[in-house]
Amino acid sequence: MQHEVFANTEDFGGPDIVAGTGRISQPGVDAPYANYELGKPFDEMFSRDGQARATYAAIDSRVSSLPLEELNRRQQAVEQSFLHQGITFTVYNDNQATERIIPTDLLPRIVTAREWDRIERGLTQRIHALNLFLRDIYTDGRVLKDGVVPRSMIYGSKHYRREMRGIPVPHGAYVNICGSDLIRNEAGDFVVLEDNLRVPSGVSYMLANRDVARRAFPAVFRSMGVRPIEHYPLELLATLRSLTPFHEDVSIAILTPGVFNSAYFEHAFLARQMGVELVEGRDLLVNDNVVYTRTTSGLKRIDVIYRRIDDDFIDPLIFREDSALGVPGLFNAYRAGNVMIANALGTGVADDKAVYAYVPRLIRYYLAEEPILDNVETFLCREEKSLQHVLGNLDKLVVKAVGESGGYGMLIGPHASTKEREDFAEKIRADPENYIAQPTIQLSTAPTFVGNGIEARHVDLRPFILHGAETKLVPGALTRVALKRGSLVVNSSQGGGSKDTWVLSQ
Amino acid sequence: MLSRVADSLYWMSRYIERAEHTARLIAVKLESMVEQTPEDAAASWARVTQSLTGVKNAPLHLDAFAITRHLAFDRDNDNSLITSLSLARDNARQVREALSNEVWENLNRLYLRLAPVTMDSIWVHTPARLFRESLEEMHALEGVTYSTLSHGEGWYFLELGRHIERVQQLGRLLDIHFTAAQTGNGPKYVDWLVLLKFCTAFEPYTKQYTASIRPQKIAEFLLFDSEFPHSICFSVDRMTEALARVVPGAPPARRAAVERLAGRLKAAVDFGQVDELMSGGVAAFIADITKQCEQIHKALYSSYITYGAETVL
Repeated sequence: MQHEVFANTEDFGGPDIVAGTGRISQPGVDAPYANYELGKPFDEMFSRDGQARATYAAIDSRVSSLPLEELNRRQQAVEQSFLHQGITFTVYNDNQATERIIPTDLLPRIVTAREWDRIERGLTQRIHALNLFLRDIYTDGRVLKDGVVPRSMIYGSKHYRREMRGIPVPHGAYVNICGSDLIRNEAGDFVVLEDNLRVPSGVSYMLANRDVARRAFPAVFRSMGVRPIEHYPLELLATLRSLTPFHEDVSIAILTPGVFNSAYFEHAFLARQMGVELVEGRDLLVNDNVVYTRTTSGLKRIDVIYRRIDDDFIDPLIFREDSALGVPGLFNAYRAGNVMIANALGTGVADDKAVYAYVPRLIRYYLAEEPILDNVETFLCREEKSLQHVLGNLDKLVVKAVGESGGYGMLIGPHASTKEREDFAEKIRADPENYIAQPTIQLSTAPTFVGNGIEARHVDLRPFILHGAETKLVPGALTRVALKRGSLVVNSSQGGGSKDTWVLSQ
Repeated sequence: MLSRVADSLYWMSRYIERAEHTARLIAVKLESMVEQTPEDAAASWARVTQSLTGVKNAPLHLDAFAITRHLAFDRDNDNSLITSLSLARDNARQVREALSNEVWENLNRLYLRLAPVTMDSIWVHTPARLFRESLEEMHALEGVTYSTLSHGEGWYFLELGRHIERVQQLGRLLDIHFTAAQTGNGPKYVDWLVLLKFCTAFEPYTKQYTASIRPQKIAEFLLFDSEFPHSICFSVDRMTEALARVVPGAPPARRAAVERLAGRLKAAVDFGQVDELMSGGVAAFIADITKQCEQIHKALYSSYITYGAETVL
């Protein structure tokens, strides 16, 4: 083990590598960037004329000075360490369970202080508007009466929970933990692609990736003024605590579907980091509308539940009765105010594709402010003008059915045949309310280590927003990477990986 | 502590103890078989198989390769080394938040190292080496468990799992050897030596009784020595202590049910006399101890883990 320590001393004791050598790497020419392609999308590291941005100079000079074998060695050490830590998800094939790691890339993605400031203000504004919207549709329905959002869209949504009507929610905070997906458009501006308001995951990878990048490039890390993110669990704990008026001896638990869930590592990780119980449905029982967990010394009352189970499965008495993951009677205990649940139930109604298109209007409606972060341009086929535009430009647009996810009920115009487009146009005309359309989006690219060099790969950005008595963003995010060349799919289930995100303080 | 967490810690510990015991028996057997005649080696392998799988009269013609594969890597064998480690790891994963990183990573690393191993790859050179290295890693695991976990409730459930399992494994090994000693074709000198090595007891034994190997002294040492960690007496002492401390907050009535059983077991071991046992009584004594351990296991569960919620509301 001594060996390992010495292998890294060059990073601490070497010459001032941060000042750089004066040499500027040329993408597409110089090793290790010989296969680095700059295209139409915005690139995080290189400007259009192939100049490395100043924020990436230190990392460039460090990476260029390391032999590829050394980068490979560090990459393998990281993967080994993830495997040993059990940062894995399980893939089931032919009854064979294989454990896989989500690949992590050594090279950090850098976000400047100015960019972060806009993201932070924009997401804070957005979560305020979304929470006001949720409170509204579960109480007075003012936004519906005023005709800002169509009534049928909300009451017809399968994620609208009638059971939540009139239930008071502390601080009006329905969404306490949010993970929004941002992308950078061709102009280099961050825009929101999706709000994840149900049970967003990935924050443990944000923290694990930080360990990786800090160990891979300690001197560069130290020199750049990267803002810390390690206090996330503490902020999460404070957010959960703020949901209950009883501040002494609040008993908090994370409710997990169990060890077979792909995010189980994260559930256990957060429980350990916060020092709270990790419980499964079978550990909990409800008596007289109070939630208890079964401990060795007897039953113990639970005050706040951070649930990582979808609405549908949380209480078989109210929602899906075949759910074995949930707790019978939990919803009644919640309704009685004896337990707080984060996120509140029924938040999914506000993150579907149709409501997404209305978020800029919701911001104006509730806050009387202009949105700081834009949406990806979205056309609602339910609106006549947009419908005509969509039907006339099907070859340029991606059309999605609002109720579906995971690529179902979708038309990718530029890749579809004329026949496919005509067939889809019929479907849209038959049920325009069910469809939205967006231009084909380009994700920005970032330098990614691929074994024999550094190449450009598409990335997105998922910051995590906490919202209880206060709204907080830890200055960091999960940057997801589409590891296949040219691919835009960053999902871990389809060959995506992730990398650390360095938010700079200056 | 959640009852489910206590349950998983207890079983994690039992399976690790079982894996360690299995690895040690295989290592010792592979190392010692070269000194035995084929007949003696086969009889000795049969005792090992019986002790580890509970299968009596295992056929003697099986070769060491096949037996080792069955005992170490056969996933269809509920008690193989790899099955035990896999179950230990599954339990540990269930209670990841109750363990330190070090404990989890040591266990996980060991499992990931052994999972892909094939018999062909270890049989070429020194087959015992892999099992010796596994033992070293399990000792390291025991060390990080001792030094990185709080010695609170969870720790005592680990202790209980370890020592209840150890008593059962030790008991079975002693039973088989002393029962065989009553027959014509009993254990030879080398077999008694090997029995001590199965229990990592050879040197501690010689320090106590010199190198003169006598079955009665072996029984006395492995049953009643209060200082040696692989004796019945030592494990019973640890169990008694753990049972007295494990759930301090539990209602007295439920604690008393468990502690009463622990007191009875301790008395049986404290006042046992080896001279009384030598004329065939070792097996009966061990059967009694094993039965008492099973009762303690049941009481532990009904008092702290599976108690009906309606009884406490």
